[in-house]
Amino acid sequence: MIDKPYTARPAKSSITFISRSAPYGHNRANLCLDMALASAVFEQDVNYVFLDDGVYQLLKGQDGAAIQSKTLGNALETLALYGIESVYADQQSLKGRSIDSSDLLPGMQLIDSDAVSKLIENSDTVFNL
Amino acid sequence: MSCLHTINRSPDSNLLESCIKVVNAGDAILFIEDGVYHCASLANLQTIVETVRVYGLREDMLARATLPKTAERVEAIDTNQFVELCCEHDKVVSWF
Repeated sequence: MIDKPYTARPAKSSITFISRSAPYGHNRANLCLDMALASAVFEQDVNYVFLDDGVYQLLKGQDGAAIQSKTLGNALETLALYGIESVYADQQSLKGRSIDSSDLLPGMQLIDSDAVSKLIENSDTVFNL
Repeated sequence: MSCLHTINRSPDSNLLESCIKVVNAGDAILFIEDGVYHCASLANLQTIVETVRVYGLREDMLARATLPKTAERVEAIDTNQFVELCCEHDKVVSWF
């Protein structure tokens, strides 16, 4: 009898990253992005969600040079280059911070909290930073 | 005896609420780092009494793209003016 191949771990897993921190104040936003880009390099299915203060990362016109930092907004535009196309911003978080969709970097899909909970439910792993 | 209060976290932190409970007339509040996200939020700024001056650090606003939406109540200052403010007040209290 031939044993079934070992399949406990799927070759490809679905990973959702939830970025909840504003840029520059601490490095959580950068760490979250680095993890997502690394996952994408290893051909995992990546979802990227901006929630709570994380939506501040999406404001157009950032200039990290003013505080001798790299501009995080520019780095976010590389998500698509790494094949990460499921990039979402939570509508409630935007509304609560009076941020209009016209203030945002291009390529963001606006979703509500129900959609976020569905994403979490359908993911193998969730990183919440 | 006046005091300069600095706040360096976003409105989610509730630092401003803690600060305004103990602020005195003639004091100043300066928003720095992630604190500058307060500067666009009228609801937050309205909780600060009129006798307290409100400042935001321009460099941090530029980095975070919040300068265009800054409310009139807030005066944007640079790092040199930050130093001057520290000297003008008797004490600096950091809320972080």
